[in-house]
Amino acid sequence: MKYSYFPGCTLHTQTKNFNDSIKSTSAILDIELEELKDWQCCGAVYPLTTDSAMGLVSPYRSLQKAHECGNNLVTVCSACYNVLKRTNLTVANDGEIRTKLSNYMDVDEYAGESKVLHLLEAMRENNGFGIIKEKTINPLKGLKVAPYYGCLLLRPSKELKFDDPENPTIFEEFIKSIGAVAVDFPNRIECCGAYVSITSQRKVKGASESILKSASNREADIIITSCPLCYHNLAKEQERLEKDDYTFKPIPILYFTQLLALALGLEVESCGFESNKIDARPILKSKGLIYRGDA
Amino acid sequence: MSVKFKPNIICFACNWCSYTGADMAGTSRMKYPATIKIIRVPCSGRVNPTFIMKAYQKGADGVLIAGCHPGDCHYNSGNYFAKRRFLLATRFMNYIGIDAKRLRMEWISAAEGVKFARVMAEFSETISELGPNWRAREEV
Amino acid sequence: MKKIGVFVCWCGLNISSTVDVGKASEELKNYPGVFYADDYKYLCSDPGQELIKKTIIDNKLEGIVVAACSPNMHESTFRAAAEAAGLNPYRVEITNIREQTSWVHSNKEDATIKAIQLIKATVEKVKKSEDLFPQQIPLTKKVLVIGGGISGMTVALEVAEAGYPVILVEKEPQIGGNMAKLSETFPTLDCASCILTPKTAEVGRHSNITLMTNSEVVESSGYFGNFTVKIKRKPTFVDWEKCIGCMLCQEKCPKKTNSDFEHGMGKRKAISVAFPQAIPYRPIINEKECIYFKTGKCKMCVKVCPVDCIEFEQLENIVEENIGAIVVASGYELLPKEKLSEYGQGKYADVIDGMQFERIASASGPTEGVIRRPSDGKIPQSIVFIQCAGSRDNQKDRPYCSKICCMYTAKHAMLYKHQVHDGTATVFYMDIRAGGKGYEEFVQRAIEDDHVLYLRGRVARVYEEDGKLVVLGVDTLSSEQVRIEADLVVLATAVIPSEKAKVLGQTLKVGTDAYGFFNEAHPKLRPVESMTKGVFLAGCAQAPRDIPETVSQATGAAAKVITMFSKNHLVSDPQVAKVNEKICVGCLQCEPICPYKAIEPETIEVRIGHTVEKRQVATINKGLCQGCGACSVACRSGAMNLSGFSNEQILEELKALCL
Repeated sequence: MKYSYFPGCTLHTQTKNFNDSIKSTSAILDIELEELKDWQCCGAVYPLTTDSAMGLVSPYRSLQKAHECGNNLVTVCSACYNVLKRTNLTVANDGEIRTKLSNYMDVDEYAGESKVLHLLEAMRENNGFGIIKEKTINPLKGLKVAPYYGCLLLRPSKELKFDDPENPTIFEEFIKSIGAVAVDFPNRIECCGAYVSITSQRKVKGASESILKSASNREADIIITSCPLCYHNLAKEQERLEKDDYTFKPIPILYFTQLLALALGLEVESCGFESNKIDARPILKSKGLIYRGDA
Repeated sequence: MSVKFKPNIICFACNWCSYTGADMAGTSRMKYPATIKIIRVPCSGRVNPTFIMKAYQKGADGVLIAGCHPGDCHYNSGNYFAKRRFLLATRFMNYIGIDAKRLRMEWISAAEGVKFARVMAEFSETISELGPNWRAREEV
Repeated sequence: MKKIGVFVCWCGLNISSTVDVGKASEELKNYPGVFYADDYKYLCSDPGQELIKKTIIDNKLEGIVVAACSPNMHESTFRAAAEAAGLNPYRVEITNIREQTSWVHSNKEDATIKAIQLIKATVEKVKKSEDLFPQQIPLTKKVLVIGGGISGMTVALEVAEAGYPVILVEKEPQIGGNMAKLSETFPTLDCASCILTPKTAEVGRHSNITLMTNSEVVESSGYFGNFTVKIKRKPTFVDWEKCIGCMLCQEKCPKKTNSDFEHGMGKRKAISVAFPQAIPYRPIINEKECIYFKTGKCKMCVKVCPVDCIEFEQLENIVEENIGAIVVASGYELLPKEKLSEYGQGKYADVIDGMQFERIASASGPTEGVIRRPSDGKIPQSIVFIQCAGSRDNQKDRPYCSKICCMYTAKHAMLYKHQVHDGTATVFYMDIRAGGKGYEEFVQRAIEDDHVLYLRGRVARVYEEDGKLVVLGVDTLSSEQVRIEADLVVLATAVIPSEKAKVLGQTLKVGTDAYGFFNEAHPKLRPVESMTKGVFLAGCAQAPRDIPETVSQATGAAAKVITMFSKNHLVSDPQVAKVNEKICVGCLQCEPICPYKAIEPETIEVRIGHTVEKRQVATINKGLCQGCGACSVACRSGAMNLSGFSNEQILEELKALCL
């Protein structure tokens, strides 16, 4: 299947390892991702203000371009996904805004015909989890993985229709397909603090701390996420906890595609573990899942 | 043109769902254009296609048939007959050259006052855009 | 030209504020055919009706138009007034200038023009009207009550006491419904079975009541006063006539299985009676669980039965009954916990719903009234009650209030506190809706005397940690997030209609709302009748409600049935189809279209000159015809017409509106 791919701002810079693992794994899974030419910011929080069409210009441009390429649009960051999918719905339902936007930008009118998919959804759509299971060479046996969904991926559920907002299962299916064990931890769908980290580190602290502790209470070996922002908040909080709370044992946080890359039998060096704040290699080594790679 | 064209629209509303839905729109004080005139029929299945054609001949600009939702017909199946006749009527309209947009069918339940008002406003708007029905009108 | 009178109603300011009623009546005076036109403040009032009567008599009017509110409101009022003045009521037509004119338009000029046009169209319709006369229809004085809960039993007893035969159909093997499962009842805390058992016993022995448990209504035909229903009697595998109710079979049966009656809280045998006070007190074999049905061996029950009444080869049979009226009292169920993913989606054994709590609190329940949690049988030290679990929640597509939960949660908390004095009971609520006699006092008693902690807020999540249930919620009054560890969580899950209500509705041709509750004919004035004549509603089948309200509505439905039966025959609506035999070609295209099978072929004799020829035409059974008019459209020759909404009337109306 061919899709247009919208990486989002951090994927080429801070979270290069995420981007690389997406590219390498999707190639194996026959998910062809064609990066959208000349893409820009998804629009971040601005499209959430419903009273102004201005905030929608940026996501509308990406959507319109993907449609011109004739593809559905795939993205990975939860925030980008949330913004793009909801904008897609808005322009599908609101002719006035649609006309306004296309007139302003002087492009052909786009009425939400293409779909916006999260990479996980794109996998689910084409029985990707079955294919992953088939292509897994290095099943991650015995690895306890805590799937962290966050909130932007699931809500507002009536618009996103990603999964059951209270009891999502898509990450669990994914974890099962790579041979690992999913850890059910209560805070897996709580908010990490998101953009509030810009204004109030204190608030993010509380939110992220409870997520990390809840995963650690359930003895997770690794936390996986799909969102650079969640990753950032959790990793930062973990750094602090490591210093302040000697009872807390840090857990490596990975992007789900990094684990996927490992399971699909790619070289450890190409999984990008070295760029993670907490190195996952020791724990993977102790479980006998990798033999090389420095800790 | 300074004076906005005010269309003349006939709505056949079934007594059990849509007519009551129109009453509901009234009791909830919804507003819709005064261009719509409702004819009460016992069931949308009572609407003879000749009534529709007669309406265009006599100068109506649009005709709307409103009946119960599928499965809710007070008489079990009247709305299904109505739907079939509606589809035939649109084909006939295309054949004789009346814009088929001038005929619309909607399922409106007795509880859907909001929907009734919305559909009336929408349809009135559509017909205003289409302009007066000159084509089918008999010379008076 | 007929002499027609036009009356325009002001409806106080309701009409007159947006429609210039004076102008309307003035303009109508000059309309062809109109002999008299006037406006009046309240036509539906007694003086208003007097005015109509007097005008009809004085002017010898041959038809009138009343421009007022919706015909659904006062058509019958004005028709009755006209009839009193000697005018055929079907010569009266209503123009709806309130709900469909004055209330929906704000521009007075436009509204007035529209009103005048509508009135003129109605005048045209009246010009083409005819005298119609109702027909007398025979009546079967026998009622079918569907559902044997408290509402169905109340209806059955009331009608039976009035001397009419009743058939009570219940899908379960015993009557009593949901009320039989309850522990105590609010606001008096008297035990449910103490007040219910006398009723079930009376239903069981009343000579006018035929009890058909373990049965379902599968088909219904006919019309009010003359229904024919087919009732499916499911096999019980026990000859109940022979059975003496010794229950030796239940005692000796080797197979234990989950009991539906206990809602997963208790077990029962594969051959058993649901509870000790069940009426009829006769056992039934659960086909899916019975060892004999699975393997062909066992037959323990056959061995122990002293009267030889086990019949493994029993089949279901269909009984046909002729009845005059139907009362639907199909009751309610609770929203399955599995729909509530935030509360564990049925994952945790100690998250239970209200009905399950009723069972463990019931003296005749599996724990004999000691409140023990299902997972390990421990007495919980802390219980959290969550109200509005699913109700008032758009996300769960149940935006309505389930009405009974506030009260039964208070009751549950009280029952618990009365047993475990040092335990803590916490209730999360959105609002406390305790409207009813003694209800608010009851809730206050729970809060003040029994020290139940009420927290105003919603619960975000329930999960298990270290063997305890953790309830994460918010207290909106202090704006604090709260985390409570609990041994047992009780969800006041939404009340939903019985699973088969929608199908039953289709069988009986009675409409249900989006959730499956039966629609009443009028939300305020006809709350116990359905839109289908002769079918009445009682209890939670119509909407969630508590016991006192259910009993009042059931009594109301019974009164309606008794009123209907108090006459010796019924009067039918004359606004039905009619055939013009002169032009009917007898093609019978109309026959398959009729949903009521009211059209039949008939051979008539026609005299042409000196010869008499036989010819086939269609005829209408006026008792069966409901007046939908579908046949009139299908008629090729235009012979089929509908009285009251004839082709000529609609066309004239149409022409007047198109001008």
